[in-house]
This record gives sequence, C-alpha cells and structure tokens, in this order.
Amino acid sequence: MYDAALTPRGDRGASGSTWVPEPERPPESGEPRDETIRRPLIAGDKTPGQVTDDVARPMAGRPTALWWMAFFASGGVMTTGVVAVAYQIATGIGTWGLNKTVGWAFDITNFVFWVGIGHAGTLISAVLFLLRQRWRTSVNRSAEAMTLIAVLCAALFPLIHMGRPWLAFWVVPYPNPRGSLWVNFRSPLLWDVFAISTYFTLSAVFWYIGLVPDLATLRDRAADRARGLRKKLLGFFSLGWDGSLRTWNRYEKVYLLLAGLATPLVLSVHSIVSFDFATSILPGWHTTIFPPYFVAGAIFSGMAMVLTLMLIARKTMRLEDYITLRHVDAMTKLVLLTSSIVGLAYGTELFIAAWSDNPFEQFTFANRLFGPLGWGYWIMVACNVLIPQLFWFRRLRRNLPLVFAVSILINVGMWFERFVIIVASLERDFLPSSWASYRPTSIELATLAGTFGLFFTAFLVFCRVLPVIAMAEVKGVLSYGRRAGAAADSGVAPETAREPAEPDTVPFPTPETVPTAVAAGGSSFEEVQT
Amino acid sequence: MPRDRRNTRCPGGETGGAARRIGGPPDVAGPVPAESRRGLDRRDFLKSAGFAIGAAFAAGCHRAPVDEAVPFLSQPEAVVPGKAVWYASACSACPAGCGTLVKTRDGRPIKLEGNPDHPLSRGGLCALGQASLLGLYDSLRLEAPLDDGDTTDWAGADREICAALERVAARGGRLRLLTGSLTGPTERAAAQRFLADWRARGADTAWVTYDGLSSSAIRQAHERTHGRGVLPRYRFDRADVVVSFGADFLGTWISPVEHTAGYRTPRPAGIDGSPTLPRPRRHVQLEARMSLTGTNADRRVPLAPGETGLAITHLAERVSRRAGTDLGFGELEAAPLDEALLDELADELWNARGASLVVSGSQDVEVQALVNLLNEMLGNVGETVDLERPSAQRTGDDRRLAELLDELRRGAVDAVVVSGVDPVAELPGGEDLAAALGRAELSVSLADHRTATAAACRFVCPEPHFLETWRDLEPVPGVAVVAQPTIRPLGDTRPLIESLAAWSATRSGTDDGSAEVPSAYRQIQDHWRAHVFPRRTGRKPYPSGDFQSFWDRAVHDGVARVDPLIGLEQGTADRPGSFRAEAVRPVATASRPALGRFDLVLYPEVGILDGRGAENPWLQELPDPVTKVTWGNVASLSPAAADELGVRDGDLVGLSLDGDLRTLELPVRVQPGQHDRVVAVALGYGRIGTARFSGVGPQWIEKRPTVDTGQPVGIDASPWLRLEGGALRYQRTGLAVHSTGRRRELATTQRYDRLEVPARLGRLVEHGDQPREAARTLGLAALLAGENDGQPTEDGAEHRATLWAEHRYDGHHWGMIVDLAACTGCSACVVSCQAENNVPVVGRDEVVREREMHWLRIDRYYTGSGERVSAIYQPMLCQHCDNAPCETVCPVLATVHSSEGLNQQIYNRCVGTRYCANNCPYKVRRFNWFDYPHEDRLQNMVLNPDVVVRSRGVMEKCSLCVQRIQEQKIEAKTAAKPLEDGAIRTACEQSCPARAITFGDLGDPESRVARLAHDRRAYRVLEELNVKPSVAYLADVRNREEDHRV
Repeated sequence: MYDAALTPRGDRGASGSTWVPEPERPPESGEPRDETIRRPLIAGDKTPGQVTDDVARPMAGRPTALWWMAFFASGGVMTTGVVAVAYQIATGIGTWGLNKTVGWAFDITNFVFWVGIGHAGTLISAVLFLLRQRWRTSVNRSAEAMTLIAVLCAALFPLIHMGRPWLAFWVVPYPNPRGSLWVNFRSPLLWDVFAISTYFTLSAVFWYIGLVPDLATLRDRAADRARGLRKKLLGFFSLGWDGSLRTWNRYEKVYLLLAGLATPLVLSVHSIVSFDFATSILPGWHTTIFPPYFVAGAIFSGMAMVLTLMLIARKTMRLEDYITLRHVDAMTKLVLLTSSIVGLAYGTELFIAAWSDNPFEQFTFANRLFGPLGWGYWIMVACNVLIPQLFWFRRLRRNLPLVFAVSILINVGMWFERFVIIVASLERDFLPSSWASYRPTSIELATLAGTFGLFFTAFLVFCRVLPVIAMAEVKGVLSYGRRAGAAADSGVAPETAREPAEPDTVPFPTPETVPTAVAAGGSSFEEVQT
Repeated sequence: MPRDRRNTRCPGGETGGAARRIGGPPDVAGPVPAESRRGLDRRDFLKSAGFAIGAAFAAGCHRAPVDEAVPFLSQPEAVVPGKAVWYASACSACPAGCGTLVKTRDGRPIKLEGNPDHPLSRGGLCALGQASLLGLYDSLRLEAPLDDGDTTDWAGADREICAALERVAARGGRLRLLTGSLTGPTERAAAQRFLADWRARGADTAWVTYDGLSSSAIRQAHERTHGRGVLPRYRFDRADVVVSFGADFLGTWISPVEHTAGYRTPRPAGIDGSPTLPRPRRHVQLEARMSLTGTNADRRVPLAPGETGLAITHLAERVSRRAGTDLGFGELEAAPLDEALLDELADELWNARGASLVVSGSQDVEVQALVNLLNEMLGNVGETVDLERPSAQRTGDDRRLAELLDELRRGAVDAVVVSGVDPVAELPGGEDLAAALGRAELSVSLADHRTATAAACRFVCPEPHFLETWRDLEPVPGVAVVAQPTIRPLGDTRPLIESLAAWSATRSGTDDGSAEVPSAYRQIQDHWRAHVFPRRTGRKPYPSGDFQSFWDRAVHDGVARVDPLIGLEQGTADRPGSFRAEAVRPVATASRPALGRFDLVLYPEVGILDGRGAENPWLQELPDPVTKVTWGNVASLSPAAADELGVRDGDLVGLSLDGDLRTLELPVRVQPGQHDRVVAVALGYGRIGTARFSGVGPQWIEKRPTVDTGQPVGIDASPWLRLEGGALRYQRTGLAVHSTGRRRELATTQRYDRLEVPARLGRLVEHGDQPREAARTLGLAALLAGENDGQPTEDGAEHRATLWAEHRYDGHHWGMIVDLAACTGCSACVVSCQAENNVPVVGRDEVVREREMHWLRIDRYYTGSGERVSAIYQPMLCQHCDNAPCETVCPVLATVHSSEGLNQQIYNRCVGTRYCANNCPYKVRRFNWFDYPHEDRLQNMVLNPDVVVRSRGVMEKCSLCVQRIQEQKIEAKTAAKPLEDGAIRTACEQSCPARAITFGDLGDPESRVARLAHDRRAYRVLEELNVKPSVAYLADVRNREEDHRV
C-alpha cells in the first residue's frame, strides 16, 4: 500500500480504460448522429478529480434532511410490509385474497414484476457493455444495485407465497435422508429456483467486480480522514487493488467475461419465469410467445424503473452532469423499442387467440379485455403501449417531468400486465362452475407496499454507502482530455484550475494500456479516427 | 357389504365407553429389562436392578387419571383396534326411516352409510342422514334433565313429573302428548299405553302428531275419497310418467331417498334392446319455485301456487274425457297453463295409465282430492299409489294440531309432553305458544338441545341421539327395523319409551327405584316378541324358528321382513275403501296476488329441512343443490321480478305480508325458472341454537363472523306459516317486497351458473352461444336413435402426442363413472365425502371468499332459458388424470401418480405453492388456507382415523377414498381371494340414493366401470386437453319436446 492521495487510482484507472479525447462542440448544434458520437457524455467539463469528488460527496457528509425523510418514509412502509408478512406466515395464506380458483394473484404478480425490474441492471451493465454503448457508464452502477435489490424483493415472493414457507428448502435438490424424495425437474417452479439464484449470484458478482476500483478509490480517499471500520471494510472489499497496469488488465478481462456470462442470463431468467405460465395448460398462460414477450417486458419495466430512480437521484444528488439529457434520451428510446415489442406481443396474443379456433383460448382473451378485470387490461395497454409512444418525439424525450411521469406509469402498467395475465386467466377457465373473482386483502396490499419500502430503503442505503456512479468508468468518457488543449476559451476553465494537481498527474494513454482499452470496451479507436 | 363385517352385539356397554377415554393409556410399568438368557454377571445385575428400582419409582410417582387410562379388562371379541366394526341400524334424522350401517372404530361411530338390504332406501342415505352423525358429537347436546333450566337428576324430575301428572289426572285435567311422526311399533305402543294409563286414572288425554313438513292434506284427502286417512306409499319405481304439482319428492318431500331410489330404477327406454334409462320415461313438474325435483324433470312449468288447483282441475277434466266419463265440474276459469300442454299431459298420463303417477305437495285438501281423483281415473291406485301399505313417514294430523294449539292458547291444557318436534320454533305464533306452554301446570320437552320449545317448558328430559339407543321403526308396513345403539350414551339421557314408562300411571306413586323402568331394549324386545314376531314372513330363513334367531337376524340385517297387513294399528282393521268420486270438488278459480304483490312460498331446504339440520355445521355449509347458497336462507326471486324491483344477488330486501306488521330482511337470490310472481324463502333457519356458529372458521383480522354474536344463522320464516283449513300452509299471498338498498353478500359456492359463457363475451368467441360440453345432455329420442354412437368425442385421441411415456397399469387401474342421468344433485355424496375424509367446515366468511373445502362438489348448470329453464347436475371431483397437469408442476413431487392410476396428494411433502391447483382444469383441488379449528374435542370424535387431518398450507383433494381401496385390497389378500368388482365402494358411491356413481377397476374389462366407460353415453370432461381422466361421465338424458319427445 502506498499513499494514494497524490495519484488517485481511479483517475489512473479511468485513463487506462476508455478515456478518449473528443473535440468540443457547442451544445445543441450539428446533426444528431454527430452528437451521439462527438458530444461529451458527461457535461460540466469535469476533471477526474471532480468526478471522484462529485460521486463520493454524498457518502462523506451527514445525510441530508431529505434523505432522512425518504429513509423513514420508505423504512416505515417496509416495516408495514414486514409486519404483514410476519402475520401472514403466522396465520396462514388465507390472509391473502386468494381462493379455490385463483391460487396466485399479488404474490406471483409481484414476483414477476420485481424480476422484471431486475432486468435493467444486467442489461445496462452487460449487454450495453458488450454493445459498446458508453453512455451506460453513468447509470450502470445504480442500475445494477437496483437489479440486486429488485431480485431480492422478487425472491421474497416465491418464498412467502408457499403454504408452508418454513419448508421452502425442499425445493433445493440437496442430498437428504428422505429416501427417494427429490425435487421435480419437470416443474417450472424448480427452474425458477435455479434461474433466479443464478441470476442473482452473477449479478451480484458482476456488480461487485465493477465496484472494486471505486472501492479502492474510496479506500484511498478515506485514508487521510479516518481509520475506522469503514476503512477496514473498504480495504477488505477492494481486494488489495493497487491500480497497477496488471490489475487493470485482469480487471478488464474479468469484467468482459462476466459481461459475456451475464448476457444470456438476461434472456434466460425471464424466459424461465415465463415458463411458469407457458408450460401450464391454462388458456392465457399456455402461450409460446411468452419467453421473448416476458424478456422484452422485463427490459421495458426495468428501464422505466432505472429512469424513475435516475431522475430522482440526478436531482437530489446533484448528478445532472453525469446523468444528462442524453442518457435520458437513450433510455427513453430503449423504452420505446421495448414498449413496441410488448405492444406487438399483446397484439399477437389476441391474433393467435382469434385464429386458434379454440373457444377456451378465445374466451380467455375476450374475458381479459372485457371481463370483470377488463379495466386492468386497458390500464396495461394504455400505460405500456399507448403512453410510451410519446417518446417518438425528441422534445418529449427530454422533458424530464414527463419522462418521470411516464416511467412511473410504465411500471404501473407492467404490474398490471402480470396481474392481468395471472388473475384474469385464472379466474375464468374451463369449467364455469369454478369461475371466481379476486379481491386483495389489506395484508396483500401491505406486502406489495412493503416490497417497495424494502426496495427504496435498500436503494437509499446504497446511495449513502457506495458510489452511485461508476467513477472509474465515467472517467473514461470525460471530455477532460480534450479540454486540456482548449481550456483557455472555455467557461469552465477556472473551475478546472481550482484543482491543479490532479490534471497534471493524469497520464496520457500509453501504448501498453491502449490495447486493453480497446478490448475492454470502448470504440475508442474508431472514434478517435472519426 | 359382506355380512360378516357386521355384528349383532351391542357395543354400547363396555366398548362404547371407550369413546370418551381420550389419549392412550400410559403403561404403568416402565420397560424393565428381563433377565438375560446368556446369564447375568454382577455388573449387569446391578444395572438392571438399579434401572428396575428407578423405573418402579418413576412409574409409581405418576398416577394416571383413571378416567383416561382404563384399558379393556378383557378385549371384547368384536373390537380389533384399527379395524372398523359395522352395525346395522336405522336413521332417525327424519321419519323416513332409511336403513343405515354404522361404521365404528374403537367403539365410536365414525360414519353412517346406507343399508343396501333396506327395501326403502336401498343403500342410499341422504345428506341429513349422513350429517346426523355429527349431531352425536354435538357438545351442546343436553347431558342431563333440566328443571326450569337447571340441571337436575332423573329421579327428581320423574318424581315431580309424576306428581304433576297425578294432580292433573286427579282433577280430570287435560294431558297432551305432542310428537312428530313416530314410526316405531314399540314407540307407538308406549305412547298409547302411557296415555291409556292416565286416561284410566281420570285424565283427559290425547296424542297429537304433527310434522314440521306436513303432508296432512294428503291424509285428509284420502279420508275423504277413500274413507281412510292414510298417506300412500308412492311407487316411483313403477311409474313411467310422473306429473308432480310442486312435490319436491327427490329433495325434501316425505321420503326423498326412497323416492330417488325408485325414480332412478333403470327401465328400458324403448324396444329392441335400446339402452336402459335410469329414470321415468317422462317427468313433468309444475311448480312455483325451482326445486331439486323440478330441475330433474323433463319438462318444468312455472305455476303459481294459487293456480295449482285450477290446473289440476283442468287436467282431471281432460283425463276424464279420455276415460269417457264426465266429472260434471261445470264452468271453470280458463286454465292457467297452455291448453296444448294440458292436452299433452293428459295424453301422456292416459297412455301410461297404471304406470303413471300424479303427486302434489299442496296442503290444500281440495287439491289433494283432485290428485286422488286423477290417480284413480288413471288406474294408478294399487300400482304406483300404494294404499294397502301406506306410509307411516308422515302421520301428522294438522287438524288435531290446530285443536291442541287452540286449547293451549286458551290455557285449557294442564299437562303437555313434547317429543321430537320443536313447535315453538316450527309453528306460526311461536311466542304465544311458548307462553301457553309456560302456563300449563306441567310442560315437558324431550328435546336433546336447548331448543325454543325446551326453553318454554319447565322440564327438559333429553332423549339420546339415535345412535345411542335401541329403537324400532316401521316407516312402511312390512319394513320393520330394530336399530341397535352403537355407542353408550354420551350424556345422561333417556329415550322416549323409557321416559314414558317412567311416567306411567302404574309406576306413579311407587317409591323411586323400587320398580325399575323397563329399558328400551327390553320394551322393544317384548313388543317384538308379542307383535312383530308373529307377523314374520317365510321369505327369510330364521334358523331355529324361535324368536331369538328372528331377533338376532333382524338386528344383524337392520331390517326384518314382516307381513305388512296384520298387527299394525292401521292394518287390516279398516283398509281403504273404494273411491268416492263425489267427495272431489273442482277448484274453479285461481287466486293470484294483487298488482305489485307476490305469493310467498316457504320451502324446506335439502339437509336443513324444517330446521332439524340447522344445528349441524356440515349441513349449514352444504350448498343448497339449486341455489348453491350456504349458511343462511335467501329470498328467491325470478329474474323478471328482480329486474322489476331493481335488485340483484345479495341485495337485502324487506318482505312484508299484508296485514302483518313483521318485516323480514333477506338477501336476494335471482332464481331462474321461478314463477315471476313468487318469492321463495327457505324454512328452518333462524334457530336459536345456531347462534353458536358465530365463531366458526378461521380467526384473523379481516374475518367476518358467520353470524353476529348471539344471532342465529338465517332468518326464521316460520312465523309466516299458517295453520288454516286444518292444514299447515306453506304459501301466503299478498307479499310486498321492497329493496332496502343494503347488501349482504351471499355465501354461494358457484358464482356462474351456466355452461354458456356470458353473452357479452360470447359474441367474441366462436360458437360463443353454445354451451360448453362439460356437462352433456342427450335427448331421449337422440339416444334411442343412436345419435351418440361411435363416441365422437374420442375422435383424434390417438393423434394427441405426448412427450412423456404413457402410464402402464399392470394391476388395477381405478376409475369412476358418474351417470348424470341418474344424479339428482341431492348432495348426499358431498356430506358423505366430508364425513369420510375429515373435510373441515370453514364458515360463512370463507365461503364468501370462495374457499369452501369440499372435495366433491356438485356443479349445477342452468340450461335453456325463460320458462324452459332447467338444470343439470354434475358431481365434480378429482378426475385422477393419467396425464395429470398437477403432477408435472409440483416442484417437490407432492402430487404423484400411483401404479394403480390414482393421483395421490402427499400432504406432508406439500409446501403449498398452489401451482397444481392453478393448473388443474377441473379446479377440484382444495387448499388449507388456515389451520381449521379442531378445538372441540368431542366433535373431533367424528374424525375418521384412517384419514389424516390436514394442516394449514397444504393442498388436498379427492383420493378416491384410497383408505377404502387399501382396506379391501388387504382383506382380499388376507382371504387369498381376488378383489371382487364392487367390493370397494367410495363414500360418495355408497351414499348415492340414485346409484349414479360407480367405482371400480378400469383395467378389468369385465368390471362395471369398464363396461360403463364404453356406454354410448360415456364421455370424459375436457377430453380435448388430453389429460386422460380416470373419471368418466354418462350424459344426462331428458325427454324434451325440443329433442323430439319419445
């Protein structure tokens, strides 16, 4: 270990990964194509040191009043949920509004909903990484954290929805003394267990590996301030990161490999979740388009949730320079794409039902549209298909209040999508004598609210203790290098000048580091050449 | 039922006592090691000695409470722990007198089943009979006599009652015995002797009988037309054409099990080897409300109660024209029915004369006289209407009742003994009656609960449950039953005949205890020796020809065949005379409700009847077969009437009768098929004893009580009964209905009533207006024409590919056939299944939440529309699919396929994901949402020890009574004989009065199920899903005009 204060590792690392000088352009000029390539992804003309300061700032001081308010509010809601779940486990699943016909409702709806939310993180981290979408650097960290928390929220439901949750370990195939008793590998619920646990594990590892350079930065920043538990923890979890070229090299390779591993999981998890329905014989569930349809829906809702969180974080944590309109714009485009896929899936379902010549299938969809829960279907269509069409317009994509509102509506719509699929299919199936209705109880509502409480509480804690933005990665997309030459006529130059030591210490890419950078992620050479 | 499984010994004495000893007897001595064979060295000896002394101390310190730990001193011969002993008995839940077999385990009865040897019930047992077992373990039953509400002892009660009777007799006061229909020869003799004794001592005595569900008008009509007040025995088994004017003979009327068994007797449907039809060729029901019987009819016509007489008059006139006689009825108001329909009815009846049957549930003597006329003209008397061996199942005479009530109100009765009925709750003017009973010098009720009548009487001398005592019955002459007790009385109770003997004038005045009260057993045996034994017929071999062998045989078989025509007091002495046509008067006009008013029809519900089933939670939770409503009664309105009033299901309406200040509030049930100007309300609710059900069901924060604290279940409609014209009337006119604007959600077990999808959604579906094929009906003509031959639904089965290897059955392949043409929907199987399989009662709130637990349910679908609405019933249970959708989705293999084709649920492996239930297309799986209460230790005695009580969080469902399958397999194996087809009978199959359910081995091509599975009516529900159910259905058959009537 050596004194890192003089040469922040993050900065060195950043320069080693994807730092690329880009020519400065006046904002809002030129064709869009140029913008995406040429305009800096991070506004405010930050230096790497400023990035570190900006990102680490919320972790350093005392929490703001706003944070405390949010924390207590979400913590309170979470507590309500905890009480509700404890009561339900103590009393019985009967405290939910399920019945002889509708065996799943809020439980599995929430499960699929949260798994869906959990999709955006890996998508942004891994898929966009592989696709070299460098704008992802500003949002991937928090999106991954969101993924983990959402998958935790999701994993809660298969557990507590069991009649005897204390026996939940029976779904794990482990050697046991119960003779020939084993798990049923034909059951999609079992595949769920594997899919979710694999996804969670890999997401957690991926997230953690991405955190290591930042943890090292924090460790080094913490060095001159305190020597407490925090430092010890940071020291432990940064795995002895030394910022050497070799470390970077290996880090980049691991990160790339993990991204490659995680990408199929994005597709597999929700495909397998959709098998819960697709492999059943229930009309409305038994649908072969479910895997791609669910994956698109998951990305859709995940993106919407990332948007919701980012817009809040951007405002409250003063990260406007990092999460720029450009990020919002890119994400809303993804939202628009996935919304259209989801809309296509809705249409396909109706088309297939109409052409199926199967009266049960046809009735299920007639009932879904116009039956007792028809209002849910129309909420779903409105929120998931119609409202996102606003994002065809560039101005609306950059209207943050509108984007925020739409992102929330999308999540409402996606929740209803799962609710409609599950409940509206179950409530009226083959034998009309068993047709039933469903009404949630207070316990179910409290449980749903409680998962949101858990989600936001965990996210708030994350914002306080870990860098919400991947500093090391962001530093790779700064416009800083370009500014160095043209600093004189820039309005931000005086700010840069406040910290003279840092820019000077940033090394220019060396021949050894450049191949790594190319391999790891950036289209830097191509861009440099343009 | 193999004979040898039954036992003639009464277990009441020593074995019955075991039932109250709960928990295993702790063994006194600990396990003291015996001396080793190898020899004992010093150390071992010391160890053993030390352990022995220690164990002796330990055992000595523990004193087991005696009443919980006394084992049998000598093992009774009949009792093998873990093995059921069956006793023949008879059901006394209603006076129909069906034969039962009582299954006892370790000295306690745990199941009632029909006795196949009984000539009336033929092995069936209704829901009420099934559920009456639970009444045995009712912790609210009285355990000792009461004096003014306080517990007293029998000696004290007897002393005071006898003293009061003495005083009454001394001054020539009036003594009245008020009972329900008593069919037992000994009971009747005891009652007559009791009254005769006191009459000899100077009292003015009378015995008044009434029935809560009275058929008094039929008796009166026969008195008028045949000179003898009898209730004929209706032979539905001989009737080819049945026309019923509002008689719910399959559901609640007189003797439903007997009628159902007769109605469902298979008869050839046509000539030339056409299939047999498990029902009369044609059954037309004309009725005001939608009854169980009406839904089973080929043609059902809504007919207002006030129009019945006129309709029958018209029909009689038409039949008389065909008979070539003129009744001289004169000018009649226009018929309330379609003229063509009346002609058709007359033709059908006339063509089937001698094999037709006209019945009416009316309590109007004029109407019943017209019915007699019709049966007489049609030559049915002696064929389908048996007056020679009349029924004793309803002996009530409402004229006598009216006189008694009048006397009571005037305060003219000095002593009254009430047994078997609850007049304060059942009769109109109950409060007056209660006050009048209180004014009598002596009032004794023999109720076994704190009923309304018991509360009004000074003494309550509880009778035991019918399974606790010797009884005899002769519901129909020639069918004599001596019923043995199957358990020692749980309380200090005394049967009617013992009480009457204890209070007899001859005993009165003697010192207590000096003359022992003759036991019921002795009295019955004495009576049988003197009066029944001489009537024995030679048909049954009685080995030694002496009384003892006759008696043993009768007790063992549960029924003795005796000559019907001698001995019984309604026997030879005055047999019915010839028909007196002049006694019949036409009903020339119809009475219809005024504009904006309705007719009120009060009816009994299956199971609850006149309230006798009200305190039984199984029956309260049993959905009414037609309305499917549990836990309470409703105001049934026709769809048109509901539209007119702007109300829908669950809206509370206020009902008030003109000239009556009382307003009853009931939730609406919109009832298709009901007459538009009729409101139907079930009797038997609002009983004070049902207030106990407020805490039924799981307790949690959102729970709503089954009934509010202190409130009874449902609304008591009996104040609106009327005792008028010498008969208890169940119809009123001038009913005003207004909406209250409030709601009370109905606890129904079926929310959607039709096989067609809702029209609004059906428009979007191909053939959306067609009924789904789950429950199929064939026209009789189509069946005879062979239109269903060739099994169209089997088409393409071989093309359905499957990913998995097919199941192979080397041994048995259990399956079931349900004949929808036989099923009447009577719901006996539902309660039977509940009793056999320990299915919990969940309470009203849980039913509202659509979580009833019945493993076997009866789906009722309305068919047709408007006036032609009818219903089809479909018992629905686990179909034990070969390709079971539930089996593939369970993550922990808690539901698996057996090598014999059963779909087995492994309760202790189930973690409760409910995926199986979601994936079940029949929705027959039931989930334990809570731990259902089992706190009532006495009530837990009813639990079947062969079936586990499921804990919360696990799925359960029909197992095809796997415990019975295993039992019979073991028996067959022990006997080294192949398992006979029919040896295994599931609980539902056993109870079915209509023989609609057949269980057996599909793998055996000779078995009944294998043959029925290839019947031309056979189909499987949702066959197209390729789940390959092991339960097949035989399509219902109706002889409807629209299907070209035969």
